Amino acid sequence: MTYLTPGDPKRRIRKIQAFVVIVAIIFGIRLVDLQIVEADAINAKSYANRAVSRVLPSLRGQIVDNEGKVLARTDFKYDINAAPDIVAPFSRKVNGQEILVSKEQAAGEIAVLTGQTPADVLMKISGTGKYSQVAKAVDASIYRQIKKLDIPWLFYDPRPARTYPSGAVAGGILGFLDPDGLPLEGIELAQNACLAGKDGEETFEKGVDGIKIPSSAITTKAAVPGKKIVLTINADLQYFAQQVLTANVAKLQADWGTAVVIEVKTGKILAAADAPSYDPNEPGKSSVENRGSRVFRTSFEPGSTMKMVTAATAIDQGKVTPETHFIAPFAMTIPHSNGYRVSDSHVHGNDKLTVAGVLRDSSNTGAMQIGNLVPWQVRRSYMEKFGVGSMPGSGFPGESAGLLNTKTTWANDVIKRYVSTFGQGVSVTPLQSAMMYQAVANKGIRLQPKLIEGCVDASGNMTKVTKDKAPVRVVTEATAKSTLDILEKVVEEGGIGKHAAVPGYRVGGKTGTAQITDPNTGRYGNLHAISFIGVAPIEDPQYVVAVTAYKSRTVSNSLGATPIFKAIMSQVLRTYRVAPSTTKSADIKTQW
Amino acid sequence: MSTARLTQAPRSARQLPARSSLRSINLSGLTNSPSSRVVVLTITLGAVAIAIFQLLLHIATSSSVYELSHLQTEKRELSTTTQILGQQVDSLASQQNLANAAQKLGMISNANPVFLRLEDQKVFGKPKAALTADGRVSRNLVPNSAMTLSSVIVAPETTPATELAAAGSAPQAAAFVPVKGNVANGSTAIGSVVSNSGGIPASPTH
Repeated sequence: MTYLTPGDPKRRIRKIQAFVVIVAIIFGIRLVDLQIVEADAINAKSYANRAVSRVLPSLRGQIVDNEGKVLARTDFKYDINAAPDIVAPFSRKVNGQEILVSKEQAAGEIAVLTGQTPADVLMKISGTGKYSQVAKAVDASIYRQIKKLDIPWLFYDPRPARTYPSGAVAGGILGFLDPDGLPLEGIELAQNACLAGKDGEETFEKGVDGIKIPSSAITTKAAVPGKKIVLTINADLQYFAQQVLTANVAKLQADWGTAVVIEVKTGKILAAADAPSYDPNEPGKSSVENRGSRVFRTSFEPGSTMKMVTAATAIDQGKVTPETHFIAPFAMTIPHSNGYRVSDSHVHGNDKLTVAGVLRDSSNTGAMQIGNLVPWQVRRSYMEKFGVGSMPGSGFPGESAGLLNTKTTWANDVIKRYVSTFGQGVSVTPLQSAMMYQAVANKGIRLQPKLIEGCVDASGNMTKVTKDKAPVRVVTEATAKSTLDILEKVVEEGGIGKHAAVPGYRVGGKTGTAQITDPNTGRYGNLHAISFIGVAPIEDPQYVVAVTAYKSRTVSNSLGATPIFKAIMSQVLRTYRVAPSTTKSADIKTQW
Repeated sequence: MSTARLTQAPRSARQLPARSSLRSINLSGLTNSPSSRVVVLTITLGAVAIAIFQLLLHIATSSSVYELSHLQTEKRELSTTTQILGQQVDSLASQQNLANAAQKLGMISNANPVFLRLEDQKVFGKPKAALTADGRVSRNLVPNSAMTLSSVIVAPETTPATELAAAGSAPQAAAFVPVKGNVANGSTAIGSVVSNSGGIPASPTH
């Protein structure tokens, strides 16, 4: 086939070729630009138009006792939400048949599960809004039942919720969270760095109707769960101590009570009970002052339990032996005190007592004489070594150091110096009291009280979370033994002390009936803080139990504290299968 | 290719004298030759093969996405199940529930323990009946509002002792049934899981 064409076809074809090549190059460059150079930016812009991000909440770590029993856990609860503008009847397959479920019928089904009225639910799902909360924070089991209803316009948002499965068992120690999940008290607060997880992020694509496209979710940042805190507390023992303490505090009509169990050779706190106790699941139901733990925070004048320190100091300084003789009158006037008179709790004549007898009878006049044999500066330094006035370092937040007056104060106040021999003018927490006895039970070495074993990660590796304090040599091993022998005499022969005896075991301890200053008058009132602190078994001390009832009204001396001590110490010895004692107490005379 | 053919005009066309500005071209070269058909066919088949391969790949990917989605859903369901069961276990294992259940079974904590030393069979303490209420705390005093499930004792059907002896079985006295409730408010509602049976729980070993 032949065509006639004007001009030079070769030239024209070359022009066309050039044009085509130029266009092709332009398109090629643009293609490379779009597909390679700007590809990421364009993709991101496109994705941003249809993608929605949301936070993936992390689970807070558990708090467990020394046997792994869960005391605090975080689970998901679910908010049930709806988009009213898309609420409409929907079809559901029942027995192979499609049935139409009306909006009202669906509202009724939801209401049954969430405990609301159908009218309430219907009101929440009606309207033209994009969001309405149908039910807030429902349990996983309810959530699952609602989800099974297969209602297409319902959406579920998980939210972490803290639960304390054992309720008030160790409630004062555990602490609690506020409604937003922020820690406010106890271990929850002190160990938040370990317990708190890191929230993640999820992105998913939405359709034109704003509904999530199935299988479009991408976890852009995985949530990291919190780690686990292991306590030294034995939850069963803690429950027992709280039960006994609560029952007896009620009997005594006391303001409050505490009971502490310490493992002598490790300093571990096995139980730290408070009465009244509080349930961290419902912190709002307890008064503010009952939400912490008085074991760690409340200091008060300990009274006669401090006489053990006075006796141990004098023995350690070589001033007395357990059998050194004293004449203890009913009352004595403190020298150079303008007639300040100190008397014993009961009227008696001039009793001929040994050091052991002074503690057995809890004689204030005898204790003053023993203490006066040691220079007050030295005696004060022993008190420091016993832990008076310094933070125990247990790891519980806000613990108190108690009060030990300064050297200057003691130098200028002879009364404070003297009365400190029987536990007045100084103050200690129940934990500090217990640790003073732990020192003599542990051959004279005071350990740091330990409430937290550590923080455990997902791999099971444990890290320490409390700063270690070096053990303190308070008295010699020989002094510690002599002091224990004296304490045993208190339980063997003491009028009140013998009520603390645990059959089958050698038990030593000391009573305490401390006067309490009336804040209105500034003078001692009629109510007392009654205590008993004991050690068992004496031949190889394993446990210290310290009990206090504050402002006891029905019993005004330590007779109110000994049944609590006996019950708890018996349970401790049973729990840890401590063999009954096979040796006898030391042959020490208590009077002459 | 076609352009090249256009430039090679036939000689007869170039010999036309009257219209010197016009040149003739032969388009016969544009007709399909066997070699060009092969090329076109190859390209077409290649494109179809790529399309089919892409389709198959897409189907396989989609299938995996659905499987992944299904597994993720299953994982979420299992997590929820674990959570629900964990809550139930913790609730049933709470000290308050165990103490209640033990007491309902007739187990009484003796406030006066007595110890036996094996080496000389000496008894320490004065044995007293556990029924003595002195020093015993007989009810829960430690609140627990998280105890949503608790064990209660279901009385067994009474079976005559002779029938039991004939059957060679021990009397089945009671069973633990978890019940929804709250130690703090005392409200209860029956649950559905039986956790144990037998009047006094004993080890299944012999």
